[in-house]
Amino acid sequence: MIDVQSIRDAARDLLAKGEVRAVIGYQRGSRGMLAEPVTITDPEQADELVWDATCFHNLALYLVEDRKALAHAQRTPNLPIAIVAKGCDARAIVVLMQEHYFKREDVYIIGVSCEGGGVLVEYKLARLLNGAQALSAVIDGAELVVTTLAGEVRLPASEVMADRCLECREPFPKEHNVVFGEDQTSRQLVAPFTALARFEALSEADRWAYWCRQFERCIRCFACRSVCPMCYCDECVVDSITFPVAPETTAEEKANRIRWIERSAVRSENITYHMTRAMHLAGRCIDCGECERVCPVNIPLRLLNNKMEREAREHFGYEPGASIGGPSLVASFRDDDPGQFIR
Amino acid sequence: MSEEEQAYEPKIVAFLCKWCSSAGSDLAGVSRIQYPANATPITVPCSGSISPLYILSAFNKGADGVLLSGCHIGDCHYIEGNYLARRKIYLIKELLEMVGVEPDRFRMSWVSAAEGAKYAQVVKDFVADLKPLGPQNKLKADRT
Amino acid sequence: MEKILDKQRLDDWIAALTDWEAFAPAVEDGVWAFRPVVGAARLDHPNTKQPPKGFAFPQREVFFSFEQIKGEAPRLTQKLPDSKHRVVFGVRPCDARGTVRMDRVFADHVDDVYYQSRRNNMAYVGLACNKPPSAHCFCLSVGGSPVSSDGLDVLMTDLGDRYFLAAITETGKSLMTTAGDLLKMPAAADRKQAASVHAEAVAQPQRAINNPDGAPARLKASFKSPLWEELAQACIGCGICTFLCPTCHCFDINDEVTGSAPLKGNRVRTWDNCQFPDFTMHTSGHNPRPTVGARLRQRVCHKFQYFHENFGMHQCTGCGRCISDCPVGIDIVHVVNKVTEHAG
Repeated sequence: MIDVQSIRDAARDLLAKGEVRAVIGYQRGSRGMLAEPVTITDPEQADELVWDATCFHNLALYLVEDRKALAHAQRTPNLPIAIVAKGCDARAIVVLMQEHYFKREDVYIIGVSCEGGGVLVEYKLARLLNGAQALSAVIDGAELVVTTLAGEVRLPASEVMADRCLECREPFPKEHNVVFGEDQTSRQLVAPFTALARFEALSEADRWAYWCRQFERCIRCFACRSVCPMCYCDECVVDSITFPVAPETTAEEKANRIRWIERSAVRSENITYHMTRAMHLAGRCIDCGECERVCPVNIPLRLLNNKMEREAREHFGYEPGASIGGPSLVASFRDDDPGQFIR
Repeated sequence: MSEEEQAYEPKIVAFLCKWCSSAGSDLAGVSRIQYPANATPITVPCSGSISPLYILSAFNKGADGVLLSGCHIGDCHYIEGNYLARRKIYLIKELLEMVGVEPDRFRMSWVSAAEGAKYAQVVKDFVADLKPLGPQNKLKADRT
Repeated sequence: MEKILDKQRLDDWIAALTDWEAFAPAVEDGVWAFRPVVGAARLDHPNTKQPPKGFAFPQREVFFSFEQIKGEAPRLTQKLPDSKHRVVFGVRPCDARGTVRMDRVFADHVDDVYYQSRRNNMAYVGLACNKPPSAHCFCLSVGGSPVSSDGLDVLMTDLGDRYFLAAITETGKSLMTTAGDLLKMPAAADRKQAASVHAEAVAQPQRAINNPDGAPARLKASFKSPLWEELAQACIGCGICTFLCPTCHCFDINDEVTGSAPLKGNRVRTWDNCQFPDFTMHTSGHNPRPTVGARLRQRVCHKFQYFHENFGMHQCTGCGRCISDCPVGIDIVHVVNKVTEHAG
């Protein structure tokens, strides 16, 4: 079990010694037991950092925000920024470095292992606690230690964990500067891509009916895109409204912007948006599962990204976020790439 | 087939690479090869330059079938473009199928500048395969 | 007009409303929404994921279609909403008060024929909240209450095996009259129980805005406060808070072109979102709200200061959706309390 104090000490040290300019981590929010992202710059704030089963967020997103803020201010930092990273988050950081979004030396990775557990799903926890209110939930090996008003309860982590954690192939941040917790990469809770396989067993008609239902519910809040560290484009190609303009942009350029989809949150436009996003994430999505967690209308977005990931793995031997120097999936090829479908 | 079904003419949007497939379709024309007129050709510099958005947009605007065609492997004018297309298009094809779009609505071919007859055959086969599927309305936008 | 309805007769009442299209909460894939009633209606819902604002103010609505043959003037065909009467069951008091605020903007303040035509054909049958549906409810702090009838046509109160019905408007009375003898006269014990259920409901603990009355002035004094950036630090710039809000109503208007020769299309209104980074992007490229702090400030001040200055009431009705559904925990109660505490 990880002692959160060691994470706090690491953060405090780095800031006090002036080795990093900030630490991105998790703090307790104002919504009961849920953690929320925080960026601290003062060593004294280090004691606010937390680490538990509600640390859902992929903090690599804030590395992107930081990079954008620096670019906007035209500043080059003289110190790296530190970040608390789970296995999935660390892979996201690798992808960003692979794409030259920032250099390895710009980021100090404080890795934390999920060991035998992972982040929880609130409704699964609520079901098991039968109405009792949880005050905190900490990973201890393969168990979740939940504190309620009536006392402590130990639950098997696998019954409360998110699907993305159950299927996770690497609950340990391979890329790190320092790491806390055991490497339990071989823990194999549920076979990877299980949810995807279950879905693909449906007939074509059932699959279409399923996605119709999902995409009719989509309200185009773009939370899925906003929470994804890899969706860092300032101009999202499907959202013609976000194309940034500068004083030099001519009226003709503005008038001729291609509008790929309409603003209307209707099925056809929603499907185009989500499929385009899945394609743009092919080989880049490391399955942190945040897109699915934040969706207010419960669209199982992971299925789309997992499909791309599995095809990449099985047919192109490709693993996203595996190595900083690796090639990108869609900008590389092998002689034996499948081509039988081409007439 | 009912009269209505017989009268139905699928609309195909064909993205053809300029150097090979578009030239191949031209050759079919100057050779006076008879083939169905259902495909609207759009010339692109290279099959590798085709973005998944082109395909999704074509379906969104009401295409009943989308065809992509480029140079044969090893013959790409830009050396590697068609290798990249092979990979990307494989992915979009898998995604379309997973979502429940009929696999027969989307296809890819390698057609060289000398293969006018092949281009005609590809379109002929595509039209024949699309007719029984009827109009595409899964991804088509409802513009009312 | 007050009546008692046996819970088992709810479906009969709905069936009797033949002039109305009835909607009630239903759950699909874990998401509660107002859906056309098919089979049995249920009123055992937490609050719906989205408020009922979409009935009078849909996410997409066509104003008119246009067609222009080259050389001629464009022909416009107005698309007014249909005149169907729609009744929504299970509306929580916070959402009903949200409707009142939407009316201020679209019906009282501005002559929006599209909104008004839908609104005038809507009826809202509310359900009092015996217990807070969410851990983040705070209706009491913003002038509301779990048993408020403001904005409703009928208020229903759950008494266990039956509902206590109170007609609030003429429309409500007519809905109840249509039920005929499905509804019974309340006995004194019924009235007593309803009163005590209401009292208990109001006494349930909730989140609290510490100084709601002082908020407008204190927020005004805090425009330049560094707290906004600090509190918005984790914001990812999505649109969940705004789209799920019962009172957010910003919109965009676009032409959806469907043909080029002749030029054809529809002029369409869609929801817009002040939390999207480009919401205030000018054609010059300048963006007056370039940071998450500026955009958080905009939304919070609109709810607790600007609307209050314009209409004399807080725009927020305390439903708590923006708090429970924010991916990163931005908490409007916490934000308002923190900023007003440090004001000036």
